[in-house]
Amino acid sequence: MTSEVRIPDPLHPERTEEARLRAAAGLAPAPSTGGEYAGFESVGLPDRPPQTEREREVYTLDEGEMLVNIGPQHPSTHGVMRLVAKVRGEVVVDIDPVLGYLHRGIEKLCENATYTTVMTYVDPMDYLSSMHNEHAPAIAFEKLYGVKAPRRAEYIRALVVELNRVFSHGLMMGFQALDMGGLTPILYAFINRDEVVDLLASISGQRMLFNFFRVGGVNFDANDEFFSRLGTWRAGVLKTIEMNERILTDNEIFRGRTIGMGVLSGSEAMALGVTGPSLRASGVPFDVRKAHPYSIYSELEFEVITHTGGDVYARYLQRVAEIKQSIHLIDQIVDKMPHGPVQAQVPGIIRPKPGRAYAAVESPRGLYSVYAISDGGPNPYRFRMRDPSFVSLQAMPKLMPGRLIADTMAVMASFDPVMGGVDK
Amino acid sequence: MDLDLLLGVGRFLLATTLLLLLTVPTAFVVIQMELKVIAQMQLRYGPNRIGPWGMFQSTIHGFKFLAKEDHMPDQADRTTFTLAPWMVYMAAAMSMLVIPWAPGAIAADFNIGIVYFFAIIGLSVVGMLIAGWASYNKYSLLGGLRSAAQMVSYEIPLTLSVVGVVVLGGTLNFREVIEWQLDHGWMLLWQPVGWGIFYIASLAEINRTPFDMVEADSELVAGPFTEYSGMRFGFFFFAEYVALFIMSGIMVALFFGGWLAPWPFPAQLEGFGGTLYGIFWFFLKSYLFVFVAVWLRATLPRVRVDQLMGMAWKVLLPLAMLNLIVTAGVVVWLKL
Repeated sequence: MTSEVRIPDPLHPERTEEARLRAAAGLAPAPSTGGEYAGFESVGLPDRPPQTEREREVYTLDEGEMLVNIGPQHPSTHGVMRLVAKVRGEVVVDIDPVLGYLHRGIEKLCENATYTTVMTYVDPMDYLSSMHNEHAPAIAFEKLYGVKAPRRAEYIRALVVELNRVFSHGLMMGFQALDMGGLTPILYAFINRDEVVDLLASISGQRMLFNFFRVGGVNFDANDEFFSRLGTWRAGVLKTIEMNERILTDNEIFRGRTIGMGVLSGSEAMALGVTGPSLRASGVPFDVRKAHPYSIYSELEFEVITHTGGDVYARYLQRVAEIKQSIHLIDQIVDKMPHGPVQAQVPGIIRPKPGRAYAAVESPRGLYSVYAISDGGPNPYRFRMRDPSFVSLQAMPKLMPGRLIADTMAVMASFDPVMGGVDK
Repeated sequence: MDLDLLLGVGRFLLATTLLLLLTVPTAFVVIQMELKVIAQMQLRYGPNRIGPWGMFQSTIHGFKFLAKEDHMPDQADRTTFTLAPWMVYMAAAMSMLVIPWAPGAIAADFNIGIVYFFAIIGLSVVGMLIAGWASYNKYSLLGGLRSAAQMVSYEIPLTLSVVGVVVLGGTLNFREVIEWQLDHGWMLLWQPVGWGIFYIASLAEINRTPFDMVEADSELVAGPFTEYSGMRFGFFFFAEYVALFIMSGIMVALFFGGWLAPWPFPAQLEGFGGTLYGIFWFFLKSYLFVFVAVWLRATLPRVRVDQLMGMAWKVLLPLAMLNLIVTAGVVVWLKL
């Protein structure tokens, strides 16, 4: 495999093959045309004048460039997202993520719901980490109302969110491969997911949108049957993950396509606000569980894992390492699980005193936080959520120029975005 | 009228009709094999509803294509859009003419069979290119251009690797290449490097994983076939799987002794029984390589387009040249 291939470099026009040939023949460099505004028509939408400077920049086409719509219906956009890619042949010159195709107004819905029913609305947001979606509002509302969940409830919460993290990162390994043409890892990842989801269904009653957290506790206690199933799962959990590792980690093609691809330095990542595994893969040891411990994480032993590459391969390795860390955390939580009630005394309709509360958790995609304002009524006056994949996606226009269309998919998959969370 | 001419025309018509008819079950079997084998490798059941063990799933696929709406984009170029699937399919079907199934069972046993085969199989790139251009779709266009770049690049190492076989066997006739292997053992033993180059290049030539840049479902949706539906898409689909079988068959003929049985069985039998015996071994070996191609598809991710081209021009082509020079030198030196 080769690293240096002469493809026209759109960012430095003087280095293109044509410019080289013109210089060799003693001709003057080709005059720049300056570009022409192509408009929305070129991507199949009704035309209108540009609204922003950025829009004018993206839709202005130079000689030999064209706009390609990647999405909203496309095999590898992780939901319904549209990337407007400006390409010169196969080389991406510029990329513009267009969001909002899955917008459901969840924040507004939550503001019209009572504090207890908010939990049902946040579930389908980032549908691969529903437990984390419920965890942050639960903490925020407890702060607002001034109630504390019992210790056993906190342990069960930590257990289910770590279980959720295992399957979410497992799926990322599969999607990373799928977006690069590997068909098998995603199916192994779904075997793993199915086991975890069955396990979570046996404690919460539902497979995907768990609706498990309550203000001041959790919905059901973990019974013996659940722990027996957890033990069976724990014995075989690494099997499918290791099968995927064997297919991908040392695969020459996989390494050739991911190492050095989409490098995000630590300072760039921090400037963009990227959090979670993608930030830690750039060498920044920031983990909400360690930096601002919530729930019972201050009582558990774990180190913040980092990788230094900052490329797609480092982000992949980061996820694999975090799966194993989560399994280690699950072992500790089960060992230390106390007895007791799982729900504090809370009335059916909560009316917190006017005030504000903020809670952040470490979701599989990064820092997921909730900011709630109460005006004394039965529903939040303002309910704001920060979704990590929305922020991670903003790194795409920085990373893609000069790369190929195929790399767009690989880099996007490495941030593991979930459109349900991005568009809310 | 000359009776010989009439007989010749009749024999030609019979052979071509048979071969055209043969492409359909070949595609069905290969597709069914892919569905089932890849399902086993991915720890799932695969099709199991139609017929015993889901045997007729691919047949139903074929009939489904016939029943579906044949849609054409408004701004597509109608003539070339219609022509493209036909060209790709004919390239696959016509190359079946020279496949040596068994002794006495070759549709056209003529003395430039190898040249004919590589000339015809290369035609499919024209079909892909015009399919990409005629669809009036940016993904199709990118896919069509990719197919042109990829298949033209890989044709060169593919053909050069076969020249080693031709030099060694001293013939361009598939039957004679196999008869040479009856005396000297499998060509694989004489041309291991040539076989390696041939195998990699043939995967790229028929757009199989890890070189399926042309379709690249996660990047280009379906490449040049994006806008095709119904039986037009069916022709592309069939051609792809027929080409997979044909490439395996040609590789078996050139490097693995074709219809010859491996030791310790009698290599070849006489008469009609010998034909059946040859067909059995030919199909067994060919489907073994179809199986390997499916196995690769289940295992490997796709290479990137620049890595693909780099490999063709920087690795395979020099290696194929070197292999050819060494082979030619040895043949001249030892007066083989």
